[in-house]
Amino acid sequence: MKQNEIISKIIERFPSAVILITDDKQFSITVDENDAVTAVAYMQMLDFKQLAIITAVDWIEKGKFEIVYNLFSYEHLQQVFVKTLIDRKNPKIQSISNLWEVAGMYERDVHEFFGVEFVGNNDLRPLILHNWQDKPPMRKDFDSEAYSNKVFGNFKKEKAL
Amino acid sequence: MLLTSSKDLKDKGLDVVLDFFRKKSLWMLHYCTGCGAIELPPTMTSRWDMERFGMGPMATPRQADLLLITGYLSVKSLKRVIYTYEQMPEPKWLIAFGSCPINGGIYYDSYSVINRLAEYLPVDLSIEGCMPRPEAIIDGFTKLMKSIDKGEAVGYKRYRENYEWYKKNQAEVLERTSPVLKEEVADETK
Repeated sequence: MKQNEIISKIIERFPSAVILITDDKQFSITVDENDAVTAVAYMQMLDFKQLAIITAVDWIEKGKFEIVYNLFSYEHLQQVFVKTLIDRKNPKIQSISNLWEVAGMYERDVHEFFGVEFVGNNDLRPLILHNWQDKPPMRKDFDSEAYSNKVFGNFKKEKAL
Repeated sequence: MLLTSSKDLKDKGLDVVLDFFRKKSLWMLHYCTGCGAIELPPTMTSRWDMERFGMGPMATPRQADLLLITGYLSVKSLKRVIYTYEQMPEPKWLIAFGSCPINGGIYYDSYSVINRLAEYLPVDLSIEGCMPRPEAIIDGFTKLMKSIDKGEAVGYKRYRENYEWYKKNQAEVLERTSPVLKEEVADETK
C-alpha cells in the first residue's frame, strides 16, 4: 500500500484526525484523546505491526502531555506517529498492553518519567530510577540542576580526598 | 629493580617487598559504567598493550586488584559499584576516569548521575579528560604503580578508617525516604 492510500483510509475512519506528512516514508496523525487507542489498534490492523516506542512530550504552556506512539510497518515501509494530547493535571490514558505485550514496558517507562497513568496496565512499578521520591524527572517543571546541586553538589570538605 | 634497605624493611615490614610485586601484577576488574569503557580495548590490545605492565582484565571482583570507574556513574550503578568494591580483597585500588567522577562533567546538572565519586568511595587516582586517551590511561597506570611502590596508594585503608563517613554519604543518596525539592511539591498541591 502506498502512503496516500493509507492516509485516505485513515481519513475515512477518523475524519477529525490531523495528518502531517514529513516525507514519503513518514507521517503523523494527531487524534482526539478518546480516539487514541482505537487509532493505534486501527494502525495495527493496517499492518503497522511494530511498536517502536511509546513516549511523551510535556507541553507545559498548553497544560498538556502529548503521548506519541511510534509505529512501523515492514509491509509498507512506512513510519507513523500516532499522537494525542491529554490533560497535564490528571494525565490518564487507556493502556494498549493488550495490543502489544511490549507496550507494558514502554508504559512503565512513561509512567516513571512523566507520571502518566495508563488505565488497564497493572504493572506500573518503577523501572529505571533508584529509589525515586521526587516528582517525575522528565516533566518540564522539574528543576534538574537544583536537584543535582542539592543531592550531589554539596561537596564535603572534611576527610574527603 | 627492588631497592630496599634493611632500615626500610624494619620500619615498614614485609609490605615494602610485597608492594613491589603487587604493582607488577595488577588485575583490573572489567566493570564498565560509562563511555570511558571504549578507551579500554585499545589500551588492552596490541596498539598500546597494557599487558607489558603485567596488567590484565579479570572477570570477577574476588580476584581483582583494580576497579576502574570508566566515566559517569549513575545512582543505580553506584550501588552496584559499592557492592563490587566491598567484595574485592585488600589491597585494592580504585581509579576514576574522566571528568564525570571528579565533578560531574557534562552531567553536572543531571538528576541521576553523581557528581563526586570521592565522597562515596576512596579514589586512589583520577585521570582527567573527556575521555582520556589510551596514552593518558597508561600514564595514569604507571603513576598508580609508582604510588603503590611508595606505599602512598592506600585508599582501601582510608575506606576502612572512615567507613562510617563513607556509609553516611552513600546512604544520603541511596536510601532517601522523602522528596528533595520540597517547595515544588508544595506548589503542586495548591
